[in-house]
Amino acid sequence: MVYVLIGVGILVCALLAILTRRLLLSAAWLALTSALVALMTYLLGAPHIAVIELSVGAGLVTVLFVFAINIAGEDITPLKSLIPKPLAVGSIVLAGGLALFLILRAAGVLNLTPLTNLESAILWEERYLDLLLQIVLIFSGVLGVIGLLANGKHTPDVEEQS
Amino acid sequence: MNLPIPLVVLITILCLAGIGLYCLLITRNLIKVVIALQLIVKGAVLAFILAGNMTGQLNLAQSMALTVIVADTIVAVVGLALAVQIRLKTGSLDIKSLSSLKR
Amino acid sequence: MTPILIALTIGIPWLGAIIVWLMGDRREDLTHWVSILFSIGAAITSVLLLPNASQETALTIPIGGDFGDFTFVADGLGIFLSVIAAVIGSLAVIFSKSYMKGEGSLGRYYAFVLFFIGAMVGLVLSSNLLLIFLFWEITALCSYALISFHNDDPKAVKGGIKALIITSIGGVGLMVGALIVYAYTGSYDINNFLANYSTIPGNILALLAFGFLIAAAAKSAQFPFQTWLPDAMEAPSPISALIHAATMVNAGVYLLARFYPAFKDVPYWSEAVMIVGALSALLAAVMALVSNDLKRVLAYSTVSQLGYMVYAIGTGSVYASQFHLFSHSIFKALLFLSAGAVIHSIGTRNMLEMGGVGKKHPLVKWVFIIGALALAGLPILNGFWSKELILESGLKNGPLWLYIVMVFVAGLTALYTIRCVWLVFFGEPRSDYHAHAIGWEMIAALLPLAGAALVSWLAAGRFSVLLGEKSLPFHAIEPLPYKEMMHEILSLPTLVVMAVITAAILLWVFRKKLEGLINGLKSIRWAAENSFGFEAINNAIVKVTQSTAEALRVTQTGILNWNVFGILASVILLLAILVLGA
Repeated sequence: MVYVLIGVGILVCALLAILTRRLLLSAAWLALTSALVALMTYLLGAPHIAVIELSVGAGLVTVLFVFAINIAGEDITPLKSLIPKPLAVGSIVLAGGLALFLILRAAGVLNLTPLTNLESAILWEERYLDLLLQIVLIFSGVLGVIGLLANGKHTPDVEEQS
Repeated sequence: MNLPIPLVVLITILCLAGIGLYCLLITRNLIKVVIALQLIVKGAVLAFILAGNMTGQLNLAQSMALTVIVADTIVAVVGLALAVQIRLKTGSLDIKSLSSLKR
Repeated sequence: MTPILIALTIGIPWLGAIIVWLMGDRREDLTHWVSILFSIGAAITSVLLLPNASQETALTIPIGGDFGDFTFVADGLGIFLSVIAAVIGSLAVIFSKSYMKGEGSLGRYYAFVLFFIGAMVGLVLSSNLLLIFLFWEITALCSYALISFHNDDPKAVKGGIKALIITSIGGVGLMVGALIVYAYTGSYDINNFLANYSTIPGNILALLAFGFLIAAAAKSAQFPFQTWLPDAMEAPSPISALIHAATMVNAGVYLLARFYPAFKDVPYWSEAVMIVGALSALLAAVMALVSNDLKRVLAYSTVSQLGYMVYAIGTGSVYASQFHLFSHSIFKALLFLSAGAVIHSIGTRNMLEMGGVGKKHPLVKWVFIIGALALAGLPILNGFWSKELILESGLKNGPLWLYIVMVFVAGLTALYTIRCVWLVFFGEPRSDYHAHAIGWEMIAALLPLAGAALVSWLAAGRFSVLLGEKSLPFHAIEPLPYKEMMHEILSLPTLVVMAVITAAILLWVFRKKLEGLINGLKSIRWAAENSFGFEAINNAIVKVTQSTAEALRVTQTGILNWNVFGILASVILLLAILVLGA
């Protein structure tokens, strides 16, 4: 039951995040979504990810959004969408339905494993490549942002603090 | 109401991804695009955890999800920086102003 | 030791490419020297690889997943071709220092040259088909970029795009072949495939064999794709030497040689290979005879000599084909570089405007003549031995009429070679050109090549051991000491070939008296000048590709929403296939 509540909460927040006109409010709803996702991952037995999702997804990224929106300014003039909305909704529902059907057919009855073995460390021993990739990724991201912000004369250096 | 938990989570994941995709299809605001990407990736993280839980390989799933979160954060950072630059250069956040490379 | 050397031979030029690119044009002299340094480094490590030939997998890079590991094997064939790529490549780089003096965009030039050399080394040393495909496409990219180096010249750009599109056809053939190999043997490893090819059904193996033949023909500019190579002549001369002698075109012959043991029993495959080789050799030789552009003559001669190599593989003598490749790389690099020196000095490529260059540059004249005689197959230069080996194998294992064609082509080769030498270096100047001085770097690159053209055939015995059973277990190449080779070659058929070549030379000497005969062959001349219609076919391929691309532009809206919609639509398609299929 608690899963249903959280799930509905996530979806409502997500919908509000994309439907709100004001970007700052969007970012706030996104943060709330992130927090609820973190709660759900915690309940599913992944506390590490929950903590990281909470601090990065709900914390850091939201701060970034607020900075960016502050610099770029609210641009709330409503723009007509280029794709007809029924087409968008229809294709998404089609894709989602097909995916759901496939998953249910493949997995049959869905069961959770009993959560017993929670305290063991993440298997870094087998995932050197991931670690390396993450380092490269972070490095290139930092370089990219520095490069981007170095060119803009009007940009305050706020984003580099993060 | 006695739905199995995995089904609830699964539907949440699919709907989350669907909402993100809908936003990507409809919006013309660059910052909204980044928000939509965030939503989709949150669905992906949840999916990893759910799959790990169901197959009993939660540790593997956690490390994968971590990689996804890191990648996603970088995407958000660079995407926002790009959006800011574009706003400063072209004066708008409309993605239509970006197709000037096409003849 | 071997793994380190392999990594170095690929890594040094690639590292050099990055460094040179970053250096750009700020300090011209430094850019020259740094690239020379890196190319020589690669040459040294590749030569050091020579004693380490073995069939064992030397270097394995695990990439995880289902695609197997990226493996490198330093066997005789691979080492030999990597030595050619690295050593001749480094000579071309040294030559470039003088040839490219004062040109712009040197960083781009050298970066692509070094990238090219490294990719070619990787291509021949790798034993994973997926990796081979990767390197194969890198060489295609580099050749495109270098042919179009003067990117303000529309002819150069056109030649580059033509080379890219035609060789991409070969790339598609290779990729399909790789996927078939993977589907039927469960691994991309070549040696695994050569050991287990008999488990593949006959018709699939035939498909594979002919697919690789098309791939090789496109890459090595063989019939019917032979026209991209002459158009690639818009590149700077050192690049022509690189493409013709050291890297690009050898890849196709390498592919055929590498897979020969698996395909030799496919019905009609050997015959098809022989015919492709012989036709390329014949047509290109005739075209070389009527061309007045010095570099085009050399380009056609490359196609013709590659035809010999392909023909040799068809007759079953992989050794003769590779030995000719060895000789050819040396004398063709020599010819292109000395032609580059002449063109650089005189400023034209039209042979009708040359004449008497020999008096101005006696040294270049002599090295060019050495190269030309090797190309013509006159004893005792290296071209003679390898060509005779091919012809002998053709007489033994191939149909007689193809042998006669090849002997006739040998005569034609002598004819166009002597015509070319005569028009360029002898007689009186036919226009008032200025002969500029030639830099010492050019001489430094030419002399070792001339020396090698004289003596490289002495290495025949060593060469046969290198390709022997120890490193290529599936090819069954017998050791052939050069004394035995001499004994084998100095026999009656060789005298016949010599007679044909002498006749060709006499034909040139008495050309004035044979006016009537030459006029009688006017229609052939006309056809040859129009490339026998293959130019049209190749141009059609290029045109269709380009217009398709132009038509598909509409799909690139440049608008994010529609792109996402495209992604979503393909996801739906994929899911629907899964739902319906499984």
